[in-house]
Amino acid sequence: MRDTLSVARGVSWRVLHIFFTNKAFLLPSIAFPLFFFTAFVGGLSRIRQVPGFDFPTGYTAFQFVFVLLQSAAFAGVFTGFGIARDFETGFMRRLMLAAPNRSGILLGYTFSALVRWATVATVVTVVALLAQMKIGGDGVDLFGLYALALFLNVAGALWATGVAMRLRSQQAAPVMQMPVFLLLFFAPVYVPLNLLQGWIHGVASVNPITALLEAGRGFISGRPELTLAAFAIAAGLILGFAAWAVRGLRRAEAAG
Amino acid sequence: MDGPRENSIEAHGLVREFKKGPRAVDGIDLRVDPGEIYGFLGPNGAGKSTTVHMLTTLLPPTAGTATVAGYDVVKEGPQVRKAIGAALQEAALDPFLTGREHLRLQTTMHGITGEERSKRSDELLTRVGLTEAADRKVKGYSGGMKRRLDLALALVHRPRILFLDEPTTGLDVQSRTALWVEVGRLAKEEGVTVFLTTQYLEEADVLADRVGIIDHGRIVAEGTPEKLKADIACSTVEAVPATPDQRGAVASVLERFGEQTTGYGPGSVAVQLASANGNLAEIVRALDAEGVVLSQLQIHEPTLDDVFLAKTGRHLEGAGDEEEQDSEQDLEPARA
Repeated sequence: MRDTLSVARGVSWRVLHIFFTNKAFLLPSIAFPLFFFTAFVGGLSRIRQVPGFDFPTGYTAFQFVFVLLQSAAFAGVFTGFGIARDFETGFMRRLMLAAPNRSGILLGYTFSALVRWATVATVVTVVALLAQMKIGGDGVDLFGLYALALFLNVAGALWATGVAMRLRSQQAAPVMQMPVFLLLFFAPVYVPLNLLQGWIHGVASVNPITALLEAGRGFISGRPELTLAAFAIAAGLILGFAAWAVRGLRRAEAAG
Repeated sequence: MDGPRENSIEAHGLVREFKKGPRAVDGIDLRVDPGEIYGFLGPNGAGKSTTVHMLTTLLPPTAGTATVAGYDVVKEGPQVRKAIGAALQEAALDPFLTGREHLRLQTTMHGITGEERSKRSDELLTRVGLTEAADRKVKGYSGGMKRRLDLALALVHRPRILFLDEPTTGLDVQSRTALWVEVGRLAKEEGVTVFLTTQYLEEADVLADRVGIIDHGRIVAEGTPEKLKADIACSTVEAVPATPDQRGAVASVLERFGEQTTGYGPGSVAVQLASANGNLAEIVRALDAEGVVLSQLQIHEPTLDDVFLAKTGRHLEGAGDEEEQDSEQDLEPARA
């Protein structure tokens, strides 16, 4: 266990050191969620006047939850890009050689994804508060919201790690990104589920991200709903993708 | 709980097959004793790096067994990695990190923190001569500096066994010599077992206590450099006629004493003597009897290239070039 933690500590230190000392990595990670937030909230704010839209804390809070979850998922996915780059440059070989316990490599990358997202989430939250976002939930509700996002971040990181470990190329980026993108945008992003119609309503109804989004919106409005289902789904995603990532690591080890 | 085990390396019938490719390693048996410097000599594509990758747990063998520091490379990978240090050709440095930051990463991964980390990093930076460049990003380092940093990184946790995969490829003479001195010191003073792959004859000759010559994934000769040369190769006599028109006459005389060989000066004639103790006096007398005037006459002691030539029918230099097209590293692993 001590070996695993030492390796995780080293790997995450490197990723975070590079992230925080290179504008080329730091700025886009913060800029993209902010762009989505301002674009959705600013450009689509009149959606709150649509009949049937009865979100109690307003459209800013409604969109904030989506942007928070999206930033969490993508902070995880971007970790996979870094792993793929490390395979291409040969740096992963150094990590594999230096790590007595290689599970620590997975843990290190996952922890770094979490810290990266925490940074982005802090900025997005501050901007949302400056934009006078209303919060209906109490401290426990908000803890639930951020915990849910954190779970999604870990699941995203493990998913992308598994892909990167299997394909070991930066060309795998679309494979990591696209399913997450589709899952996120086939959920009720702009309006509540009950206002969606046709095929998108059908897809959103079975999309597991919908439960996470609705639960998150329940937390911020102070009217928690689907809480248990959302956490169960998030935990399931983590468990499933953890197995996926570990098996990916074994395949990378076998491939040399 | 296991106690400390012997710092040896052992392999039995080690095989690595790649999908759509030949057997990169085809049944290697070897033993490296504690504190020994073992030179693994062979041309490009001979299977040197693949062997190192298997011994360092980077690549599982398709067949055979190997133990490093007393631990099985397949079943006890974590223990093997704790006991070894490795500087490999393909293990890159991170251009965004400085030399000191690389050491920080490596020490942290090995559980060395705090004051001990700083002390160890400073000590290693001094030892490899990178103290002044320690806080510069490695993207600005020369090839030699990168190799030296790589060696420092491999030594962070005081490994008992050190793997060096072509450590001096691309280095200038000064850097190469400095690295040889350091590797020799590690073995002699610290008792580190060194497994060194190289395609340079001189490197194997100067550094290695014992040499294994590998070709097409098999060890074709093994022993001390002196023994290999004494067993296999004979001295070569090289004569340079005073005038080019006497070249034919010189060749006909020398061919009485051995087989003509190439790879020497453009105007010279060289023969590898048929017996280990070729008699130079007899050769001089025969040349004199033919009235040949020489501008130069030299006797060359056998080299490891002669050993390679005797075992494979090819010279070591350039032997791997034709095999380079399908580098073993690019091949996909076959299902075991």
